[in-house]
Amino acid sequence: MIQLILFSLIGALLVFALFFAMRRGPRTEGSSKALVGARQALNSLQAGLLPPELVERIFAPEDYEYVVSQAPKDVRDLFCAERKKVAIMWVDQVRQQIRSLMRFHLGSARFHAGLSLQTEIGLAVDFTGLLIACRALQVLLYLRGAYSAPRMVGATAATATRVCRISEESLAFLNAASIGGLDDRSAGAARLL
Amino acid sequence: MLSSIICWIGILLQALILARGCQSKLLAKYPFFYAYGACVLILTVPAYFVYAANSNTYGFWYWGEQLVSLIAGYGILLEIFKHVLSPYPGAEKFARITGIMVFGAILCFALVFPLVRSHSSASVTMVEFERDLRTVQAIFVSGLLVVITYYGIEIGKNMKGMIFGYGLYIVTSLVSLAVRAYAGPSFTEVWRIIQPLSYDVSLMIWMMALWSYHPTPIPESRVRLEAEYEALAARTRGAMGGMRAELGRVARP
Repeated sequence: MIQLILFSLIGALLVFALFFAMRRGPRTEGSSKALVGARQALNSLQAGLLPPELVERIFAPEDYEYVVSQAPKDVRDLFCAERKKVAIMWVDQVRQQIRSLMRFHLGSARFHAGLSLQTEIGLAVDFTGLLIACRALQVLLYLRGAYSAPRMVGATAATATRVCRISEESLAFLNAASIGGLDDRSAGAARLL
Repeated sequence: MLSSIICWIGILLQALILARGCQSKLLAKYPFFYAYGACVLILTVPAYFVYAANSNTYGFWYWGEQLVSLIAGYGILLEIFKHVLSPYPGAEKFARITGIMVFGAILCFALVFPLVRSHSSASVTMVEFERDLRTVQAIFVSGLLVVITYYGIEIGKNMKGMIFGYGLYIVTSLVSLAVRAYAGPSFTEVWRIIQPLSYDVSLMIWMMALWSYHPTPIPESRVRLEAEYEALAARTRGAMGGMRAELGRVARP
């Protein structure tokens, strides 16, 4: 009986694999537009969403303690509701940018013959873990408010920073100098035309 | 009677697919797939007559036929590599390593299996042997599909149909063989219908998908990069022409 269940599960695995392979759309990343998009996602994460000061500010318990000690209940509730919204939006933004980076990475990596299996598996685990963590964090923030999971926020931000560092290495060839150089050359050529 | 009808429908569909492949010149595009089809057709027609003449002999013929078609079925996997994965060296590398590992597992299994299972009856052994080989194939195809899905690789209509039809046949074979091995000979009659019927369904899918040529789309990024290169080259050529003209003007007395 166990054997029968096991083989049926393998059959089910193939059915799922077939289903997902047949229904999903193509990924067109790998072009210059996608490269720029990925660079923007990375910048947005590194400069806009993940700096420790911002994360600390959004989830700062001091703000909450101050409002609790100084303001009436209505103001306190409003503050908590607003802070919860901000926190959820922050996680959502981080999640979107990570997805964007992931799409770009997969769209580009598939063309590289020198791709490293170890790095790919490591990145896949990191990306998946992060996306799951972001979702879990969103649920937790939604249910228990902005101050419910300070450790999880810290861990998510730390992992996201690590992923950003790895992605930055793979995007190193798209630094401002090379783009600028290309643009300058193109502009120069256009002027000559 | 029913099994005969299903068998003849299968033969007819297989012959039609091959004829259509010749007519639409798909034979040259997907040689491994059509070789597999021809192989199955060549083995199935005499199998019917062997079955009609002597059902005991048919048992040996059937297992031989299944083994050959199972091996020939790897031609479809070769087509996946050739048409779907080859434009993506990174994804192909992933799939190739997985494939080599699975092939090694099949080889080891095929060598070790007769030694391990010598005490079982021949028919049970063959059912389990085919089931296990189908399992390996199912894992291999699943692995390929995971790579295709993970890297967002686009598949053309021909290849989609080829993969879907073959995948469906593997799943049905695997599950029916597992039930056959579990339930014993009592399931044989049902199994004799299900197995060829699922193959007929796959043949219909292949017939629809391979009616005309639909190539696997070329990766957009490559097209764009080439287009960008072409634009850059055109600009450079234009600039060179401009400079030549300027030089000509300067050099003119």
